[in-house]
Amino acid sequence: MAQETQIVAEMVANVWKIVAEEGQALTAGDTVVILESMKMEIPVLAEQDGTVTDVRVHEGDVVQEGDVLAVLS
Amino acid sequence: MTAATTAKPAKLPREEDPRNPHHRLAALLDEGSLELITEDDLSGMLSAIGTVGGTKVVAFCSDPTVMGGAMGHDGCKAVVAAYERAMLEQVPIIGLWHSGGARLAEGVLSLHAVGEIFHAMTKASGRIPQISVVLGPAAGGAAYGPALTDIVILGPEGRIFVTGPDVVRSVTGEDVDMLRLGGPEPHGRRSGVVHVLTESEAEAIGRARTLAQLLGNQGTLVLDQVEDIDLARSLPESVRRAYDVHPLVDDLLDDGDVVELHARWAPNITTTLGRLGGRTVGVIANNPLRLGGCLDSLSAEKASRFVRMCDAFGVPLVVVVDVPGYLPGVGQEWDGVVRRGAKLLHAFGEATVPRVTLVTRKSYGGAYIAMNSRSLGATRVLAWPGAVVAVMGAVAAVRILHRRRIAEVEPDIRPQVEAELAAEHEKIAGGVEKAVEIGVVDEIVEPAHSRRRIAESIAAELAYPPVRGQHGNIPL
Repeated sequence: MAQETQIVAEMVANVWKIVAEEGQALTAGDTVVILESMKMEIPVLAEQDGTVTDVRVHEGDVVQEGDVLAVLS
Repeated sequence: MTAATTAKPAKLPREEDPRNPHHRLAALLDEGSLELITEDDLSGMLSAIGTVGGTKVVAFCSDPTVMGGAMGHDGCKAVVAAYERAMLEQVPIIGLWHSGGARLAEGVLSLHAVGEIFHAMTKASGRIPQISVVLGPAAGGAAYGPALTDIVILGPEGRIFVTGPDVVRSVTGEDVDMLRLGGPEPHGRRSGVVHVLTESEAEAIGRARTLAQLLGNQGTLVLDQVEDIDLARSLPESVRRAYDVHPLVDDLLDDGDVVELHARWAPNITTTLGRLGGRTVGVIANNPLRLGGCLDSLSAEKASRFVRMCDAFGVPLVVVVDVPGYLPGVGQEWDGVVRRGAKLLHAFGEATVPRVTLVTRKSYGGAYIAMNSRSLGATRVLAWPGAVVAVMGAVAAVRILHRRRIAEVEPDIRPQVEAELAAEHEKIAGGVEKAVEIGVVDEIVEPAHSRRRIAESIAAELAYPPVRGQHGNIPL
């Protein structure tokens, strides 16, 4: 079975935009979600190739450091 | 001879063994340049002098074919001899490590001898570049040896720890393997012990060669070689959008030898050695893609150590600033962001090398001061048109300054009032023109002309021989 990778928030932020959809295939460097923090839009990128199996946040959510945003497999 | 020989360890000859220190030193040094400076015996260490890309260096290498490379009295003497030679010649020293630590059989004598290596390293700190390459397990004394040096490179089989998994298990019951305890992931991403991760032993040795040349043969800045590139070409249009700063740093530096240090640890700031116009420079850049480019406790510590290393070896600095401030919050405060942030103020404040700042988009608050500001003695501060240098963002500022007035207006027109006040505030407090007027920015420079202006600003301040900070490089 393919390994699962969790994509986590690095800092406290608002979820500004969800870019990747469940089932979508991503390559490393693709944007998964865009967070808003420190008055900036900060893209969160996939670190490796994979398919999005789960998006765990919604636009407008507040996430804490370490929260899982999405899961790739 | 001492206890090392009475212990009757392993097997010579070891010709075929790839871990043979002869082979490893030969791979490190230019062909035909290797000259041993210690006896090839069972001491567990072998030292040599030679060249890398024509630059003279001293090197030593663990001998894991003898008692797992454990370090006794004689092996430690071989390392100390290497340090004496490197200090005499004033050349970089490279250590190749693959050692279980001190030789148990020699008891406290081996601890004493390992301590003498640490003393030699500390005395050499900031005087000659020290590079470590960890190619196998490096435990105990063999862990702290590399940790005392300027740059630590990890091979794929390199493992660094104070005590190995067996001892951990017997003492605390914790079950962990060598990879998780001290492999590339923990040291590359979490501890900051390792500066450069590599995929193969050959790459690890290749990186050591490149770094020894960058620090040992810094070259001459030739302005005619510096072509202008539009440094803004990799930036997004929206100033609110975060981006990866690596392409900008690549554009700034000459093609060729570029080594990023601590790439995965504290990635919200980047620290890179490379060349500009042929001369070695160090580049520090906020990376907005990670944590918005905020300074925090780890990134401040990472940058301070880099600044102090470059200063000690006479390497000019280029500081690329796009920073929204210090990361706020309980985690940071409890993590010592004040104490660690002070290190960066101290490091820049004491630096004597030419150090040029380029503000690309914004520089706010305490982080503005810390990123090699005019007040800390920057050689020259450049800023792009439209850059903002301020205590904080204009809207945030007017919300504090005009709190009552904003509270009095109807909620639905509040954003409009805030925007008007912010525009007014920017004129008096935040715009780059204001920063030039009061002298904290020396000049406004177009992105397409920045590369050359940075090189010219460094060249104008370069002294021969280069000025060097008179301090060691404590592993902050």
